Amino acid sequence: MMSELDAKLKKYRLSRDEYRRMEELLGRAPQGVEWALFSALWSEHCSYKSSKVHLRKFAFKSPRVLQSMGENAGVIDLGQGEKVAFKMESHNHPSFIEPYQGAATGVGGILRDIFTMGARPIALANYLCFGEPSAPRMSALVDGVVAGIAGYGNCVGVPTITGQTEFHSSYNNNILVNALAVGLFAGDDPVVTSQAKGSGNLVVYVGAKTGRDGVHGASMASESFDEDSESKRPTVQIGDPFYEKLLIESCLEVMKRDLVVAIQDMGAAGLTSSSFEMAAKGGVGFRIHLDRVPLRDSTVGPEEILLSESQERMLLICEPSKFDAVKEVFHHWGLDAQALGEVWDGPEIELYWRGDLICKIDPRLLTDNAPVYERPYHPWTPKNKKAKLSAPELNLPEILSSIEGTSRRWIYEQYDQRVGAKTVRDCEDSVAVVRLPSGRGLGLVLGARPHVMRVDAQIGGYDAAFYPALELAAKGFQPLALTDCLNFGNPEKPEIMSEFVAAVEALAKASKTLDAPVISGNVSFYNETMGQNITSTPATGMVGLRDEVLKIPRSHFTIAGDNVYLLRLPGVELLGDQMGRSQGFTGDLDVNKVTQFIATVKDLALTDSVHATRVCGKFGLAYALYRMCTDTLGVNVGSDMDWTKEKLYEVIFVGTDALEGSLQKAASTIGAECLKLGSVQEKTFVLGKRSFDLAQLHQSYRNGWRMHFGQLA
Amino acid sequence: MKAKVGIVRFLGTNCDRDVYQAVADIDLRPEWLWFEDQFDPKEFSGFILPGGFSYGDYLRCGALAAKAPVMKSIHEAAGKGYPVLGICNGFQILCEAGLLPGALVRNEKRKFIDRWVELKPETQTKWSSKARAVIRLPIAHGEGRYYAEEADLQKLWDGDQVWMTYRENPNGSLQNIAGVTNKNKNVCGLMPHPERAMHEWMGGSDGRVIMESLLG
Repeated sequence: MMSELDAKLKKYRLSRDEYRRMEELLGRAPQGVEWALFSALWSEHCSYKSSKVHLRKFAFKSPRVLQSMGENAGVIDLGQGEKVAFKMESHNHPSFIEPYQGAATGVGGILRDIFTMGARPIALANYLCFGEPSAPRMSALVDGVVAGIAGYGNCVGVPTITGQTEFHSSYNNNILVNALAVGLFAGDDPVVTSQAKGSGNLVVYVGAKTGRDGVHGASMASESFDEDSESKRPTVQIGDPFYEKLLIESCLEVMKRDLVVAIQDMGAAGLTSSSFEMAAKGGVGFRIHLDRVPLRDSTVGPEEILLSESQERMLLICEPSKFDAVKEVFHHWGLDAQALGEVWDGPEIELYWRGDLICKIDPRLLTDNAPVYERPYHPWTPKNKKAKLSAPELNLPEILSSIEGTSRRWIYEQYDQRVGAKTVRDCEDSVAVVRLPSGRGLGLVLGARPHVMRVDAQIGGYDAAFYPALELAAKGFQPLALTDCLNFGNPEKPEIMSEFVAAVEALAKASKTLDAPVISGNVSFYNETMGQNITSTPATGMVGLRDEVLKIPRSHFTIAGDNVYLLRLPGVELLGDQMGRSQGFTGDLDVNKVTQFIATVKDLALTDSVHATRVCGKFGLAYALYRMCTDTLGVNVGSDMDWTKEKLYEVIFVGTDALEGSLQKAASTIGAECLKLGSVQEKTFVLGKRSFDLAQLHQSYRNGWRMHFGQLA
Repeated sequence: MKAKVGIVRFLGTNCDRDVYQAVADIDLRPEWLWFEDQFDPKEFSGFILPGGFSYGDYLRCGALAAKAPVMKSIHEAAGKGYPVLGICNGFQILCEAGLLPGALVRNEKRKFIDRWVELKPETQTKWSSKARAVIRLPIAHGEGRYYAEEADLQKLWDGDQVWMTYRENPNGSLQNIAGVTNKNKNVCGLMPHPERAMHEWMGGSDGRVIMESLLG
C-alpha cells in the first residue's frame, strides 16, 4: 500500500531522495504550497538536473557574445550597432497531446523569450520530427502542428522563414516540435535582463488573465508518456496570438522608454519560475499578494495561481514613480498592468493570500540548490563503424516521392514568410536570409540530422554544428553562433545518457572549433513512450552574417551552359540511406579539417563566378543535383559516380569557367578533391549512363506529399 | 515639404511598419493614424489600411476594425475622393465598412497560402496610374477568396470596378478577382502585398507600381 508521503511525492513528481534534500534545505518537512514550488522548479524542465554537468561543456569566451545561457535568450553583437537575440525551445509533449495548441503555444513561448530581452522578433523557424505517415493519428498531428505554428506566427506578425521536417518510426508516439525565434536590437535598443533589483520597486503582472491551464505543465513535460497521456490534455495551454502581438508592442515600448528594471515571461511553471528566478538572480526578496493576480475564474486557488501556465503573461519590475507611465503604455495597447507586491532586501519570497502569509522561502533553495545528477553513461565507442560500405541502388523516383525526400511545400506555404518585409530568402531555399537595417544579410539554418544520429551519436553531434555551418558557408555567410534543443529519451537509462554525452561533447567541440558558440537552448528529456525512445535529436539553429544580400548564390541552376563542380572533403562516408535499410559509416571526422573546409567554401561562395551552390546531404549526390533543377534547367554529368553514398562533406558549385581555377587551387590547399561533374543543360537530367525525364522527376517530387498525406486538404 | 500618407493602425495590424517603410522608400512622409482617433483628410495625400489580424480576426476578418472611430474619417476621406488603399486585412476592413463591394471568405482549401502570384490589372485607378500588363506580388492570407453574388459580380465588371485579377487562381476567388475599386476609383482593395515587393532583394519590386501612384 502506498503511504501518504509516497502519494504526495507521486502527485508532485518528486523522488524520495529529492524529498530528503528538501527537508535538509528547509530544516523541516515541506508544507503547503512549498510542495508545488519544489515540484515545478526541481522538474527536469526547469532545473536541468540531469544535463547541467554536461551543458557546462558548451561554455567558451567569445567577444561577440553579449548574453548567454542563464538569460531568456542569448544575444550576439553583429557590429555596426546591430545585435540579435535568438533561442530554440521544445514543445514536444504538449504538441503530441494537443497538436494545434501545443505547437501554437510553443511559438508564443519562444517569442516571449526573445522580446523579453528587448529585441523585436524578426524571424521564426521550426524543427519538426514526425512518425511514419501511416502511424495512428499522424496525419492529424502533422495537420494540427503546422496549422498551430501558422495560426500563431502569421497572426502575431513574425515571418516563419525556414524549417526542417523529418519522418521516422521512432517518433510515432513522441513527435518533436522545436521552435526557434530571432529578435533584432536596432539602434540603441537596450538589452534588458531578468535580474530583479531595488528594494521598494514594484512587482508587476502584465498580459492575459490566469486560468487553470497548464497547471503542472513543467513537471508533466519531464516524464515519459504512458497509456494515460490522453488524460493529460487539460495540462496543455491555450494560446492567443492577438494578445501576444499587443504584448510585444507594449513590452518593447516600456523597455525602450526605460520604464522597467527587469522583465521575464511566465513560461514553464508560470509565476513560480518567473518570480523565483528573477529574485534569486538579483539576490533580493519579493512580497507577492497572490490574490491580486488577475483571474479568469474566481475559484482558482493560490497553488494553481503559482503553477498555471496560462499564456501571454509577463512579470516586470519597475520603480514606483514609473508605474503610472507603465500602466499608460499597456492601456494604450488594450492591456492591464497589475502590481502584485514589491521587492525587498529579502532574501526570502513571501507569498500572501488574502492578507495571510502562506509561504516564506529563500528562492535560492529552489533555483540554485536544485539537485544535480551525474547520470551514469559509458564513454563513446562507435558501434556502426564498418570497414567498407556498399552503396544502395539509385532509384531516384522512389526517393523523390518518399516522405523523407518529397517537397515540403504543403507545410511552408501555410506560413507567412514575408511579414516584416525583411525576407530575402525564404523556406524554399537552403539558407533563410533576412536583411538587416545596415543592408547586411543575416542567414539562418537549422541543423541536426536524425539519420546521422542513428548511425552514430558522436558524428551526429559534430554534424549538428558542421552541417548548418556548411550550409551558411555555401551561401557566403560567416557562421556566428548556435542555439540548440537537445531532444533525448530517458536520461536514467545509461545508453540514452551515453548518446546525450557523446552528442553534447561533439557539438561543443565543433562549435568551439568553428568559433560559433552555443548561446542559448533547452533540453527535452523523457521523449519516451511505453519504453520506446526517440532517435536522439540534438536540433540546432545557426545564424551567420554576410555583407550584402544581392549576390547570394542561388540554390538552383540559373543559366544553361554553366559548369557544375563538386568540392569534396575526404573523411566520413555514410550509407546513403534513410529509408530504413541498415546503417553504418566509414572513415574518421577531423574537426579541424572540416572547419577549414567550411572556411574555404565560404570564401569561394563569395566569388563572382559562382552562380549557385548546394550542400549534398541526405540521399547523396543524385538527390542534391536533382534539387538544383528547375522546370527548364537540368544537368548532364558525363561519368558515373557514387550517386547514393552520403559524404561528410561535399558541396556542389555551379558557375562560369573562371570558377574552375579557384576551386582547384582551394582544393589542393586544404587537401580536398575538386571534380568537374558536367554542365547545366535545358530539360536534361543525365547521370553518367542513365538518363531521366525531368518532368517525371518533378512530378514524383511534387506529388510525393499527397501520396502519403492524401487526406489532408 | 513631402506629402503625408496616413497609415491606419488597429490593434492586431501587423504590416503597419512594412507599409510605413514602403511609403518612406518612395520618398513620401508616412504618418500613423491610431484606430481610436479621427483626423482631417486635408493634411494627407492618401491613406493606407495595412494587413494583419485586426482584433485577432475575431467575429469576422475586419468586422470589428470597420467599426473603429478612425473609420469615420476614412469614410469622409473616401467620399471626398482621396486615394484609400486596403491591403489584405485592410481590404477586408474596407469591404466590412461598406466602402468596397463584396467580401473576402476562407480560401477554397481552407489553408493559409503564402506564395508569389502574377496579377493582371483590369482597369486604371488612383492606385495604378502606371500599372503594367502583368505585375508579380506575394500573397499571404487565409481568407482571401473574393466573393459576391453573381449579379453583383456582373455589375462590378460592367462598372469597371474589377481592379486586379490573378493569372492563376490561388484561393478560389470568384472570377479570379484579387482587387476591386469603388465607382470613383479612389478606394481600392488588394489581397496581395505591394509593400513586400519594393526592392529586388525582396524577390521583386513590382509593388512600387502601386505605391508610386501616390506620387501622381
